[in-house]
Parts: sequence; C-alpha cells; structure tokens
Amino acid sequence: MRAFRLSFPIFFISLSLIYMIMIFQLPPALLGDPDAPKYFPMIVAIGILVFAVIDLVNVRTENVEANEDLATLIKKDSLKIIGVILALCVGYALIFEWAGFLAATLLFLGALMFYLNGYRRWVLNLTVTLIFSFSSWYIFSQLLEISLP
Amino acid sequence: MSVILDGLVTALQPINLLLLLLGALLGTIVGILPGLGPATGIAVLIPLTFGMEPVSALILMAAIYYGALFGGSRSSILINTPGDGSSVAATFDGYPMTKNGQAGQAMSIAAIASLFGGIMAILGFIFLAIPLADFALNFGPAEFVLLFLFALSIVVTLSIGNTIKGFLSMFVGLGIATIGVDLQSEVQRFTFGVPELIEGVDFIVVIIGIYAIGEVLFNLFNTNQPKATDHKIGSKWFTKDQWKRSLAPIVRSGPIGFFLGALPGSGGTISSLFAYSAQRQLSKNPSEYGKGKVEGLVAPESANSASAVGALIPTLTMAIPGSGATAVMLGALIMIGVTPGPLLFEDSPDMVWTLINSMFIGNIILVVLNIALVGVLMKVLHTPPKVLYPIILLLSFIGVYTLGYSTVDFYILLIAGVIGLLMRVMNYPVVPLILALIVGGDLEQEFQRSMVIYDNSLGILFASPITIVLAILTLLSLMYPLMVTWFKRRKRKKQPPTQSL
Repeated sequence: MRAFRLSFPIFFISLSLIYMIMIFQLPPALLGDPDAPKYFPMIVAIGILVFAVIDLVNVRTENVEANEDLATLIKKDSLKIIGVILALCVGYALIFEWAGFLAATLLFLGALMFYLNGYRRWVLNLTVTLIFSFSSWYIFSQLLEISLP
Repeated sequence: MSVILDGLVTALQPINLLLLLLGALLGTIVGILPGLGPATGIAVLIPLTFGMEPVSALILMAAIYYGALFGGSRSSILINTPGDGSSVAATFDGYPMTKNGQAGQAMSIAAIASLFGGIMAILGFIFLAIPLADFALNFGPAEFVLLFLFALSIVVTLSIGNTIKGFLSMFVGLGIATIGVDLQSEVQRFTFGVPELIEGVDFIVVIIGIYAIGEVLFNLFNTNQPKATDHKIGSKWFTKDQWKRSLAPIVRSGPIGFFLGALPGSGGTISSLFAYSAQRQLSKNPSEYGKGKVEGLVAPESANSASAVGALIPTLTMAIPGSGATAVMLGALIMIGVTPGPLLFEDSPDMVWTLINSMFIGNIILVVLNIALVGVLMKVLHTPPKVLYPIILLLSFIGVYTLGYSTVDFYILLIAGVIGLLMRVMNYPVVPLILALIVGGDLEQEFQRSMVIYDNSLGILFASPITIVLAILTLLSLMYPLMVTWFKRRKRKKQPPTQSL
C-alpha cells in the first residue's frame, strides 16, 4: 500500500523533471523577450517539484491511513474491470470514425452491457443497447443536427 | 428595473419554461443518483445545449445545476447517500427523519428551505452583482493576476488536510494549461506534433473525463456503494410546529450560504456544513442534532441553495468559478459563446437577468416537482448502476466529440478519467486542478503583460490598492491551513492527558 502511495509523488517528481527538460528545449520567442514562453511553465515545473517532494516526505513519515478505496482499487478484480472498460473505450475511439457513430455505438454499448451484466440478462442488454444507440443517434444527429460520422 | 422585467418576460417564454422544467427534472434525476453531483450532471448533459440560443442554453444548464443540488439532498434524506459534497450535511438530520418515518416531511421542508435560501440569494445577487461587476471593470493585468492567484489560493487552502495535494493538483492543472500555442509569442509548447493540441487541451474534455468517466470507473469497481433501501415516505407535508422551528434557521442560513458561495472556491459543501455547524452551536440542545431535528436539516439546505446562486457571482462577473459545478458551467458558457466577465452585465444584461428570473421560477418549479413527485423520484434510485454507467460513458463520448469533432479528444477524455479516478482514490482534490486549468491560460497571459508593464519586477504586487489588498488576502489564505494546524495543536496541548484504563 505504501509503495503505491509513494509512487504518486515519485511520478510527480519525474513529471516535473521531464517538464523542465522540455521547457529548456522550447524555441525562443521571435518577438520581445526570447525566454518569455518559458517563464510561466518554469514556475509551474518548480511548483510541482517542490510540492511533490513535500508530499513524498509526508507519505514516508505519516502513519499509513486506512484507505479502503485504494485497497479495493489495487485488487486484481477491480483492475480487471477498469482495464476491460478502458479497453472497450479505446476500441470505441478506434472504430468510431471508421465504422460510423451508429455501428460503433451499437458495438460499444452492447459490449459494455454484456460485460457488466452478463449474458443471462441478454434481453435487458439488447434493449438498452438498441434504445440508447438509436435514440442518441436520432437526438444528436437528426434533432440537434450535430454532424456525426 | 426594466431590464429585470425584460428578463422576467424572456424567462416566462414557453420554450424557456419548458427548458427550465426539463433541466430541473433532469438535474433532480442526476442529483438523486448516488455518486453523481451537479458538476457531473452538467458535464454529461452539455450536448443537450448544442444548437440552442445562448439564453436558453444558460437557463437549461442553470436548471440542471440547482436541480442536481435539490436531487442530491433527496438521496441524502432517503438513503443516507449524498449526491455530492454539498448534500452531505442533509444526511445528518435528514436521514434520521426518514428512519423516524418522516421522509415525506423531511423532503418537503427541505425543498421549502431550499426555495427560501434560493430567493434570499437571488435578492442578494440583484443588489450585489452589478456593483461587483462595476468594481471588476477597474481591473488591469496586475489586478487579474492577483485575483487569479487569490482564487487559486482559496481553492487550494480550503482542502484542509490535503493542502499539499491541493497545491500539486493546482500546479498540474496550470501545467496542462500551458499546452498549445503561447498567444504572446506564438511559440508552440508541449504539443508533441499533434495538430489537435495546438489550440491547447479543451478543459471541458478534461472536466467531463474527471467527473463523468472518473466517477463511473470509481463506482464500478467500488463495491461498497450503499444500496437503495425502502423506507416509508409518511406524510408529504410538514407540520405547523416544524415550520415554526425552521423559519429562523432558514432565514439565518440563507445569507451565510450566499456569502460563502460567492467566495471563489468555497462552494456548497462548506456553506452547508458551516450553516449546520452554526445552527447547532446556536441551539440550546445541541445534543439533539443528528437524531432527526428539523432545524439541522433546513439550515444546510437553505445555505446550500443560496450558495449555488452566490457561486454564480464570481463565475459571471469575473469568470472565476466558485465550485466544481460552476467551473463546468463556466466552461460550457464559453463554449456556447457567452464570455463571462465584468462586461457581461453591460453587453448582455438581458441574458443575466433572464437567468436570474429563471432561477427564481426554477426554484418554485423544483419545490412543486420535488413534493409532487416524491414517489416517482424514489424509483430513480432503483435504476441498476450497471445500466446507468454505460449510458453515462456513451453520453460523455458524444459530448466530447461534438466539442471538436475529433477522436483525439476521446483519448484525452480517457486519460482525464483515469486521472480523476486516481485523484479521488488517493484523496487529491480535483477542484484546484479544474480551476487552474480554466484560469491558467488567462493567468499566464495577464502575467506576461504585467511583466512587460512592470519591467519584470515585483511592482505588480504594488500596482494599485486592489493588488495590495488581493496580495494580503492571498497571503492570509495561504496561511489559513497553518493557522488551523497551530490552533489544533494548541487546543490539544491545553487538554489534560487522558489516562488509559
């Protein structure tokens, strides 16, 4: 648990250092002070670094509080649920423009419903998928005239 | 005065009344669902405003906003599960009233308390918003820099116990705001060659990701979510005695909520908790609180509703959102072409007064809705989460796509969702990130302008009496957590050591 908690400030420290390197690589401004585009990001980078170091010290010295949410999150089952849902979302993003809104949404919503509710509740899954896919397409594309692929 | 009446006429137009009703109903439904608050509600329902007249879109969003606040309290009272932070205080005495068989009474008196809180705040808005907007017209680059810093400092330091994480969250938000072209020098920064990032990261995408996707992911893995339970509604109307006891707490808490709500960053949670705490401290029998005392329910409800109106003051007059929900609303306003700021009251008074009048009418509609539809609203609580969450995910994707017609935003949405989930689990406050992301671009631009004007010196701090006052306020607000810790330690030292038995 502590290792997971430590990973956050360490991530922020790394992030600030990478951010600083990227700031130094920014091209100079052609008008006015050449370093003007770097000042504000540099303040931000230093801010992240300073507070991440304090956070790291805090995590190392404080008593580890019971964090039920974190304990549940790092369980294998939770990570699997989140992983599958994110994978389905990425899949939706990948096929969205290629397959078009309606087909992609039918596949995405159907897959989500079947994954979350199981195959036994196929009537509910199919009903929700069909109703929401077609109604959202109708509302956004036809009624609100929003251009969907 | 005629502008106010014109606003009333516009608000009473059938289409706007219909949108008001729709927004109030949708907001109530969203708010009543555990885990979904006003911010998520507005974020998910933003696409509904596309293609609408700005005034109508504003009316709909505001109705969703205070409808969700109402709804949040319903689930607090009925199942002890606040829709969001601002409804937490309603659980203290609201849920015990439900357990005592007074669910109907609790909901009706809470609705009336919200109505009165809202009306008091609207009156406050009418008298204070214009002077505030006029005052804001005196602001130059240096004043804006200090104002943004003050707002950020308040948001960060109000996350007491998590101040360091609040600062981190704020700086990360500012960091995200630096992505894209620097408008002063036209230098591209941190775009990684992705053309869609040249204009920067759309904060609405991040907001929808953090609130909607983050919430859905959190609720899906978190099996400890309280389950809906059936309780008897009882009488739908409160008694004369309950009303008598409620009147003073309602009248007292409304102004508290309004002023706290108007402070950038304080929001409904602090307003309602403060009102509850003040009411309890004023009581002759504080030990009765938490056991179903009607005063303990109406005080935070009145304050919560008033703070929602109060939070619109910095949002509309200075483009500084007072809470997560108003941050989302600010983003949505900018998206539909409304530019909040001091000039809004001069350029579009009709819009502002229509909104205020619609809020007045909306509060009345909400009371009627919430009392008449108590039984129906309770059924919303029984929507299976595993049906609801896929639909929210879908709506988030549609909303994001319609912002920029680019699937690149889908990936930003998902990254923001994961960030939102991790921040929630690891107790990193989200509001500083959101506020920093929203004001970050303007803060940097004004900062660069000030640096040019004041020749890269700290003269910016002493540019005018306003900057001096804001600098002092910022310093005081930054010292606030330190003072709280110091007082706590002092109090602990004063207490006699307890002997273990």
